[in-house]
Amino acid sequence: MTLLAVRDLTVRFGRRRLVAVDSISFDLGPRQRLGIIGESGSGKTVTALALMGLLPETAQVSGSIQLAGRELVGLPDSAIARLRGDLMSMVFQEPMTALDPTMRVGRQVAEVLLLHAGRSGGPARAQVIEMLHRVGLSDSERVADSYPHQLSGGQRQRCLLAMALINSPDLVICDEPTTALDVTVQAKVLRLLDEVLTAESAACVFISHDLAVVSQVCSDVLVMLDGRIVEAGPVARLFTAPEHPYTRGLVATSRIDEVPPGARLPTVEDFFPREQAR
Amino acid sequence: MSADDAGGGVLGTSETSSEPLYRVTDLTRSFGRGGRVRALDGVSLEVRRGQRLCIVGESGSGKSTLIRLMAALDRPTSGEISFEGRSIVGMRERELGFLRAAVQLVFQDPRSSLNPRMTVGSIVTEPLRSAHLRSALDAVDPRQRLTEVLRAVDLPTDAATRYPHEFSGGQRQRIAIARALAPDPAVLIADEPVSALDVSVRAQVLNLLSDLVAARGLTLIFVSHDLAVVRHLCDSVIVLKQGRIEEQGSAAQVFAHPRAAYTQALLAAIPQIRL
Ligand SMILES: Nc1ncnc2c1ncn2[C@@H]1O[C@H](COP(=O)(O)OP(=O)(O)OP(=O)(O)O)[C@@H](O)[C@H]1O
Ligand SMILES: Nc1ncnc2c1ncn2[C@@H]1O[C@H](COP(=O)(O)OP(=O)(O)OP(=O)(O)O)[C@@H](O)[C@H]1O
Ligand SMILES: [Mg+2]
Ligand SMILES: [Mg+2]
Repeated sequence: MTLLAVRDLTVRFGRRRLVAVDSISFDLGPRQRLGIIGESGSGKTVTALALMGLLPETAQVSGSIQLAGRELVGLPDSAIARLRGDLMSMVFQEPMTALDPTMRVGRQVAEVLLLHAGRSGGPARAQVIEMLHRVGLSDSERVADSYPHQLSGGQRQRCLLAMALINSPDLVICDEPTTALDVTVQAKVLRLLDEVLTAESAACVFISHDLAVVSQVCSDVLVMLDGRIVEAGPVARLFTAPEHPYTRGLVATSRIDEVPPGARLPTVEDFFPREQAR
Repeated sequence: MSADDAGGGVLGTSETSSEPLYRVTDLTRSFGRGGRVRALDGVSLEVRRGQRLCIVGESGSGKSTLIRLMAALDRPTSGEISFEGRSIVGMRERELGFLRAAVQLVFQDPRSSLNPRMTVGSIVTEPLRSAHLRSALDAVDPRQRLTEVLRAVDLPTDAATRYPHEFSGGQRQRIAIARALAPDPAVLIADEPVSALDVSVRAQVLNLLSDLVAARGLTLIFVSHDLAVVRHLCDSVIVLKQGRIEEQGSAAQVFAHPRAAYTQALLAAIPQIRL
């Protein structure tokens, strides 16, 4: 059985109808953890926003996205909004744009919870504080009472993670969820993500440019380039025996620590003449 | 960008005294009622010209707060910051021209630092039009400079006519880098500038910064939580913890013999590809 089935998903923008996502197809089973890696600008975030029904009005979407058997493409906003609370949630790449600058973050997390559960105020606060604590915010009371601009980059990112996980959705989409975190906090957050996904039998789409993190979180990966999926497969196969020259370049350039300090770092172009892809 | 571009050396690096470029003394910044949050707590440091200093530390340790103060975008609760031998604490904006002309900043969250109503072309060339820089940059053709810096960060030239929201996260981060590099600054202060970039584009930007350091003596003050990047790019490291300096030294020394428990934990937690 599949939880999510994407077929020929295409997203174009604006009057010029620039293609950002070009006829991609993939499946996600329940509890599966799928990584998406690929070049900056290759369509990873646009794919995630299409799944969430959060693309701007200038976007034209075609193809099919089925979540638990329900078609999402063409569904009215109000219907998708309900699924967003219940079935799926997302951790956004740029935390500041996903947070309301005029509202304390504790209240923002609580609103997600109440929207979903329809419960009244009292115990929500306690649950919010506990969730903020679990994402590694030791001074969670203070964080809950802060406005977004009063928090550091990593604190904001973890507030978003708390919002995405607090309702235990079936599908969690994480778009670069740990970019603003140092490795020790990152390890803690990834452990929490694993716990929540396991406890709730939830599936995950995990977008990251950190191949090491992807290899730890995901069982399978898609590689995107210029809006297309150029390679897909189990993590172990893809990272040890990549087939597409772009993937080979990506894997080969990921090890900065193997280059002497100060020496020129290899880029994908050294392995894969860029024009080949177009 | 290559070493013979227009604009090299015009931005006030003539002085060659032993005076450090930045001297920060006992800097403290508190927030909230009664100064409940001590974001910075008695930090002292010096930055030489041409130094490549990296600031690391856990989330919330005060890294962004420190560099905002060094860029005179915020005022300390107490302590002293001098730039080129002149105190910048408490200076009015119109007196800060000498700092604004030399120092460019890349913010941690690119989206909120780029004006959504301006095209990328005017965002990137805006520093060239600023009053502090105009005289020094008289010879620079903004359009040519725009093309150069966009190419240097691997953005298409047609990016100039589009708006920030039409780009991906990593593309926006590169727009912010291009903007900071456009006036050919003497000092680049960058807050997690490569954290949202894929490995290949990250390598390209780091190569570019290394080139600028080698060719122009660019001074780099770099915040990053990516220790592999730090080891590659920087010659010295400061480790912050809860607003205090926990450890400092040359990059080689800190990586080979980390003394602070936090630094050791950081090095131990670097994720490896696990199959
Ligand atoms: N609102 C928009 N209007 C027009 N073009 C857009 C819009 N949003 C994204 N794009 C374009 O679509 C392409 C894919 O963008 P997307 O954000 O999905 O990239 P990404 O793979 O997430 O990259 P990154 O790793 O840099 O975040 C990019 O070329 C981008 O410029
Ligand atoms: N305007 C503010 N009001 C209140 N507290 C603040 C404000 N700005 C920062 N803080 C607090 O000061 C501390 C240091 O924040 P800072 O942004 O300097 O951290 P950072 O080291 O950059 O962290 P990160 O790696 O997560 O970006 C944090 O606990 C933060 O919540
Ligand atoms: Mg993205
Ligand atoms: Mg910060």
